[in-house]
Amino acid sequence: MAGAFDYTPAIVLLPFLSFLLALGVGRSMPKGGALAGIAATGGSLLLSVWAMLAVANGGTYNQTIYTWAAGTGNSFELTFGLLVDPLAAMMLVIVSLIAFLVHVFSLGYMNDEGETGLPRYYAGLGLFTASMLGFVVANNLLMAFMFFELVGLCSWLLIGFWFREEAPPSAAKKAFLVTRFGDYFFLVGVVAVFATFGTAAFAGEGSFPALAEAALAGEAATEINTFGFAPQTWFTVVGLLVLGGVVGKSAQFPLHTWLPDAMEGPTPVSALIHAATMVAAGVYLVARMYGFYALSPTALGIIAFVGGFTALFAATMGVVKREIKQVLAYSTISQYGYMMLALGAGGYIAATFHLMTHAFFKALLFLGAGSVIIAMHHNENMWDMGGLKERMPVTYWTFLAGSLALAGIFPFSGFWSKDEVLYEALAHGLGGTPLLLAAWAMGLLAVFFTGFYTFRMVFLTFHGEPRTDVARDPHGVGWNVKAPLTVLGVLAVVAGFVNMVPVAKLTGAHIEFLHDWLAHGLGGLTSEHYGELTGQFAGYETGYVGSELTTVLLSGALSLGLALAGAGLAYKLYNVPAPVEHTDRLGSVKTLLFNNYYQDEYQVWLADTAARNVARGADKFDQGVIDGVVNGISSVSLFSGSRVRRIQTGVVSNYAALLTLGLVALLLGIGLMGGWFL
Amino acid sequence: MIIEALIAYTFVAALATFLAPDERAGQVAFLLSLVPVVGSLYMWGQYDATGNALLGGDLAFETTIEWLRVAGYTLSWHVGVDGISMPLIVLTTVLTTLSIVSAWTPITDRASQFYGLMLFMEANLLGVFTALDFFLWFVFWEAVLVPMYFLIGVWGGPRRKYAAIKFFVYTNVASLVMFIGFIALVFGLGDSVSSLSLPEIAQALRQEGTLGQFGALTPEALRAVAFAAMFFGFGVKVPIVPVHTWLPDAHVEAPTPVSVMLAGVLLKMGTYALLRFNFTMLPDVAQTYAVPIAAIAVISVIYGAFLAMAQQDLKRIVAYSSVSSMGYVILGLIAYTEYGVGGATFQMVAHGLISGLLFMTVGVIYNATHTRMVGDMSGLADRMPITSGILVAGAFGYMGLPLMAGFAAEFFIFVGSFESAVLPFAPVFTAAAMFGIVIVAGYFLFAMQRTLFGPFRLETDYEITSAPVHDTLPLAVLLLCIIALGVAPELFFGMITDAVTPILNAGGGF
Repeated sequence: MAGAFDYTPAIVLLPFLSFLLALGVGRSMPKGGALAGIAATGGSLLLSVWAMLAVANGGTYNQTIYTWAAGTGNSFELTFGLLVDPLAAMMLVIVSLIAFLVHVFSLGYMNDEGETGLPRYYAGLGLFTASMLGFVVANNLLMAFMFFELVGLCSWLLIGFWFREEAPPSAAKKAFLVTRFGDYFFLVGVVAVFATFGTAAFAGEGSFPALAEAALAGEAATEINTFGFAPQTWFTVVGLLVLGGVVGKSAQFPLHTWLPDAMEGPTPVSALIHAATMVAAGVYLVARMYGFYALSPTALGIIAFVGGFTALFAATMGVVKREIKQVLAYSTISQYGYMMLALGAGGYIAATFHLMTHAFFKALLFLGAGSVIIAMHHNENMWDMGGLKERMPVTYWTFLAGSLALAGIFPFSGFWSKDEVLYEALAHGLGGTPLLLAAWAMGLLAVFFTGFYTFRMVFLTFHGEPRTDVARDPHGVGWNVKAPLTVLGVLAVVAGFVNMVPVAKLTGAHIEFLHDWLAHGLGGLTSEHYGELTGQFAGYETGYVGSELTTVLLSGALSLGLALAGAGLAYKLYNVPAPVEHTDRLGSVKTLLFNNYYQDEYQVWLADTAARNVARGADKFDQGVIDGVVNGISSVSLFSGSRVRRIQTGVVSNYAALLTLGLVALLLGIGLMGGWFL
Repeated sequence: MIIEALIAYTFVAALATFLAPDERAGQVAFLLSLVPVVGSLYMWGQYDATGNALLGGDLAFETTIEWLRVAGYTLSWHVGVDGISMPLIVLTTVLTTLSIVSAWTPITDRASQFYGLMLFMEANLLGVFTALDFFLWFVFWEAVLVPMYFLIGVWGGPRRKYAAIKFFVYTNVASLVMFIGFIALVFGLGDSVSSLSLPEIAQALRQEGTLGQFGALTPEALRAVAFAAMFFGFGVKVPIVPVHTWLPDAHVEAPTPVSVMLAGVLLKMGTYALLRFNFTMLPDVAQTYAVPIAAIAVISVIYGAFLAMAQQDLKRIVAYSSVSSMGYVILGLIAYTEYGVGGATFQMVAHGLISGLLFMTVGVIYNATHTRMVGDMSGLADRMPITSGILVAGAFGYMGLPLMAGFAAEFFIFVGSFESAVLPFAPVFTAAAMFGIVIVAGYFLFAMQRTLFGPFRLETDYEITSAPVHDTLPLAVLLLCIIALGVAPELFFGMITDAVTPILNAGGGF
């Protein structure tokens, strides 16, 4: 099976080819380039599955394939390379699968709706997929950064797809700017990694996580430059710098503000951004270089706390939104918060698990919302819907499966992964890291809100009586919409079965497949190694309430109970023929939530008003003072020139007089200096 | 002999273009200018040297012909190419040809003189980047100003006279100060040098004890004063803050092709000379004053970017952005690391291409809309999709999008300056300068959103349509060059680092 890895570059290049084709000759291609995109992502999917099988058979791949900048040998090389290990292989399959389904769905959402600019759309999708796949297989931090930025570009292109309107270009700009702000820190971090370690490789003996580990263990083989700081302090600083990019792209507090606006893009793009590409990139990066973060308890603590806080913070905002995609947007922010919580709490597997299940159920929910939006003639307001259950059964049942997974209801996939996230935080919190308990509590509380807003959305959209004419007679959807929904619907139900930890603990059956999957692979990149690192350097130990089994069951029961309570409340309030806005009872809290805690206001003020004022001030200073001095010098010389010109009268006798005067003055001067008159 | 042949040919081509009829001058100049392009690409293909033009090692295409002796100093025709000048020569010839094509639409008046001056300028620019004798170099250096003065002053906008005179006087005064500083150094060297050959002077200056008392100045003071004089002189050309105010005026008034040459090549004369003179000849002084120099670099980056943000005229936005980008070059130079100085050199080429692309694109938009003000139009992407697409690509190139030349250059500079052993607080300076990438993204995205997107709005009494092919083609060529250098920076970076290494190595003596 070694041959599989020879084709890994093609996984990235196929969608890139589709981008080039759509950009160049998309106008004359069938379906505006859609078929080429489907073929390309389908090919990527097959190759990804092949690579995954190769990894399953114990193969891994870590090769430099291209030297970007060689240097002269006195300094380090900058290279591109491929790293395919269990984590990357799993992510490759997820990304290419969802990209493939999104392409198919787009046939229904874009082509059938008579959109113009389809070549541009499919070119963007192709480049988006290629960039993300390139990011996934990157074997060093620089290459990862480069593809990370390209992902940002693609999000800008696609969010602003409907550029003739006002709002989408503005949302695109905001998405790029906010994430660019995060990427600024990321780039400083990349530069710092090179300056510190002389390499940015993720894997192998000479990789930067390995060098950092060796340095902390006091067995550094090569000299590393920590700029005068204690190594662990410096590693924390570097880790937090890179984290800036993660917080931006994965929409964590306080850089989450771009994501709800990004709903201005076409809905399939939202599915791609939220489930598999841009937002996932941040969390994937932390997982990719987990060996580095595991060395720093401070960085881990911050990741966990930011994650827990974001999970709760975003979930509360999701409660009051009126538009179906807005609810989903806040749920995305919240769910990525869980992944960050898991990573910070030492739950590398839990985070990866939730990344996977979330990819499936969130893609499903977005595509389901897309189907609803087609049916509703592009009206997204849930208060105009209602009763769609009978009229679009495929969409309803698949959307319900996704919602049950999102809310974390047993036995849907989201339950297993979210449960494991919370369990990891609880166990490590009890094991002597109390900060994690605070993050855990926030994550746990968010489960209730998640259950509530998810089912509020389901009931408002599908149950009750239709509230508008459009909802009474919705537009039908075709196979190209239903097929992706069905595939994802099945996955949203079953994906959790790969890692049923509580069942395994109860029965003793060996069914924790994801644990096994991530435990093998390249040395230094396995979940076991990460466990050792968090134990050794971050002091993470597991503590229990009673025994391990009771803790597992207690944790599962708590989160399930809260999810059911939230869903139950939503059932009581909204599963009625004519629901009303119960959230009005929240009063001014609702206004606060509806305005997203006024996070956008201060950020817009900073980026727009404040920056512009600084710019205007600088411009005034430049025109007035700096250029003023320049013009002043020229005026002085012009003025003195015009005065001196007056002695040039053109009258010979005047010149003769001046000559004589000058000669006398000169003689006097020389005489005085020479002492003739003494 | 290829350098002599190219320079001589270009002078003759300029003369021939002067004599060509106005209606054919554009095509004639274009065809004539292809020869230097081919010649420089041939040189690039044949290039196999690894040395530094001033500090030794082998050079490519070197010739030395003794010319005359003045006051005990030999003046020679001495030209040659190393890894620093080779990319700049290719940049010069390629940009000249593309600017000539981009002039076809806007330049209708006195065309033969316009194109003749462009070629005359190219010949002198080639001289600047190849001359290795100070006298020869200075002649070319000053001679570049003359065509530029006329190109702005004759074919420029409404305030062209003010802009042209400001440009000429400002840079000429700067040249004078630089000249005095350098000649003082040469006199200070006394018998250590017997010619104005730049390699001889550079190598003498990098040795201990060669410099004598000059007037009231001790050798150390002389070094510092000369460094300051040259830094000011070249800094005006770069331009660095606070001697940058001639630049926006010149750019706004200059016609598009001239702006392209000004931003693309003429600014690089300043950074090239800083590298050759200040940073190669007097590394000790540079390193002593590393903190103020880095501070100037950071201020240029951030202040320049904020100035760009305040502008409403697309051309002024690009012009001020140049101030910002050139700040990165200074930061890279002061780092004295392979990636720092190499990245700075790479940035000269990258910025030449990217700013050239942006100026040309703005010019194409202006040809169609007759306005460059951000507030005057919106939704242009609806009517000019290809031009808008290229503007988007160029703007993202300027923002440092990976796999485009600008990212490579900036990343090299950042890595190089972060790890600099010469610059105290190098990480702090680097991180501060890097914030420029956020500001630049901010104002370019705002400007694009306003002009290209949203509902189409522009009041004209004619239909706005796609630009003609000969307007678009140079843009596409430049974009391809930018992407090629971004994907494969080794095309130039290998030879650059070879030439840069001696500057760093021998600097250890100080």
